[in-house]
Amino acid sequence: MKKLSRVYLVLVFIVLYLPILYLIAYSFSQGTTMTNYHGFTWQHYRDLFADPRMLAIVADTLLVALLSSLIATLIGTLGALSIHRTSKRVTRDVLLSLNNILMVSPDVIIGASFLIFFTTLKVPLGFTSVLLSHIAFEIPIVVLMILPRLREMSPSLLCAAADLGATTRQQLNKIIIPFITPGIMAGFFMALTYSLDDFAVTFFVTGNGFSTLSVEIYSRARQGINLEINALSGVMFIFSLLLVGGYYLLQQGNAKRRQRSQEAAQ
Amino acid sequence: MTQPMIELRHVTQRYGTHTILKDVSLALESGKFYTLLGPSGCGKTTILRAIGGFDQVTAGDIFFDGKRVNDLPANRRNVNTVFQDYALFPNMTVAQNVAFGLTIKKMPADKRDDEVAKALKLVRLSDYGNRAISALSGGQQQRVAIARAIVMQPRVLLLDEPLSALDAKLRRAMQYELRDLQQRLGITFLFVTHDQEEALAMSDDIFVMNAGEILQSGSPVAIYNEPVNHFVADFIGESNILPGHMVADYQVSFDNRTFECVDAGIPSNEPIEIVIRPEDLTLTDLDHAKLKVTIDNQLFRGDYYEIGATDDQGHSWLIHSVRATVEGQQVGLTFQPDDLHVMRLHEREADFEARLETYEEVEGTAHDEA
Repeated sequence: MKKLSRVYLVLVFIVLYLPILYLIAYSFSQGTTMTNYHGFTWQHYRDLFADPRMLAIVADTLLVALLSSLIATLIGTLGALSIHRTSKRVTRDVLLSLNNILMVSPDVIIGASFLIFFTTLKVPLGFTSVLLSHIAFEIPIVVLMILPRLREMSPSLLCAAADLGATTRQQLNKIIIPFITPGIMAGFFMALTYSLDDFAVTFFVTGNGFSTLSVEIYSRARQGINLEINALSGVMFIFSLLLVGGYYLLQQGNAKRRQRSQEAAQ
Repeated sequence: MTQPMIELRHVTQRYGTHTILKDVSLALESGKFYTLLGPSGCGKTTILRAIGGFDQVTAGDIFFDGKRVNDLPANRRNVNTVFQDYALFPNMTVAQNVAFGLTIKKMPADKRDDEVAKALKLVRLSDYGNRAISALSGGQQQRVAIARAIVMQPRVLLLDEPLSALDAKLRRAMQYELRDLQQRLGITFLFVTHDQEEALAMSDDIFVMNAGEILQSGSPVAIYNEPVNHFVADFIGESNILPGHMVADYQVSFDNRTFECVDAGIPSNEPIEIVIRPEDLTLTDLDHAKLKVTIDNQLFRGDYYEIGATDDQGHSWLIHSVRATVEGQQVGLTFQPDDLHVMRLHEREADFEARLETYEEVEGTAHDEA
């Protein structure tokens, strides 16, 4: 039984990772198609780093992702705080539902509606429109990451802070914000990844002259696959591996510190 | 009369249609250990929250030193609270928790650190300043919560069932510590609990509450010996409560017999309830018996036997005896006249005290004449 489950697990991971590894393997292949492996080369990586258009798009994508997730985290945190504060149950449920509807509605619908919205308001399509729409679809994610943390916080913590003389503002700065920081961080990273790999919404609102990675890859793939894309995928894959690894190390450090203070107590 | 430090006048608290406190009035004096005692949901924590300033009361006034403080927010009231779940800040160390209030007050760092060290020493946690809260046991967390409150040097410390999460042995130790701490600091403690033993052991004065009302207040001994009604008698300690009626002053009838008692001022033939504590009943032989009962069961409780018995009228009795008896045997019970406490039905505390005064005066003059 145990053996069977292990085999199953390995199979699942193969199915999940094989396409990516296949893609990356061909980024080192001489030649221009993925039909046959022609021998090792760094050529596609050289092409990639010599392609100013591609590098500009990577920079734009990262800029949009960072900026939008920062702003969305700020707004989302305030939103979560305000939903949590709402004492009337009906109002709170309505607010939360409105938040969740944005999460579950299809990207295509959101993208199309943003396109109509921006053209009606005569907002030029480009960096601004992409940034605004990314902020908009990231806010609900941030709210959902922070709310459980707020619910976990005992209301008596705030009473205790007030009891010791803290004003509402001091309660927010010294008690609430430190308590929900893990939620805020999680929200920020989720928003960042959503922004990085969003295609559908971005596709509607990019316009001419501005593009993000996912949109660019899509349009290049339509003209026949170019192994430069494979090289890019390889770089992105390593990048996300490093991100995950860093996050893991950070967590480990926290856990170890906690464990050490626990041992000291005994 | 000196002005009470904290006074509640006709305080009512309602949430929607639900009334939590019904016209509660109480006064707290400086330097005493008070307890609000009652079953859960009786409104005792609500009183604490009203004094602490966490909830606005629906009606009535709260005074600190004669000044009305209804509209003063919690962060500007000179009282501090130890919460039931301790409410320690998980993102701070022990010392940072204790220093929190002083930091808010912008006390200079060196003076603040001195105060924190003093407070931690007082709760015997001197070496724990750098620990994380999660690294402390329940009893230690509880003492940090106390240190955090007393470092503010409040004139009143409010404690909301702070011992309820501790195990029995630790709870007993903390009862002594709290009482000792209160006497050393000389400040007023208002302690909320549903544990009557805890209340009896620690308090100078107890307020017994039920369903949003204060039923009786007084010293532990007074409340134990002279409960004002059925609820108080039943809630505080164990008791035998039997229906009966008054025959005349100092004579009461129950179980179809008439007994001598020490209560008066009640019209004859008025239906009453009598209370006898199980430890006041003494087992005796049938010749000397005031009552004859049949033993149903007995449990060994370590320092005494808890005996259940039934009399010929079908009333069941609870007896505490250091001597064992035999199940199924008929035995006699005896007691002193002052072991009998008579309760009038629906008598309120004020009426009870007024009645007590009338006949105790008479008694006093009688003694003088003799």
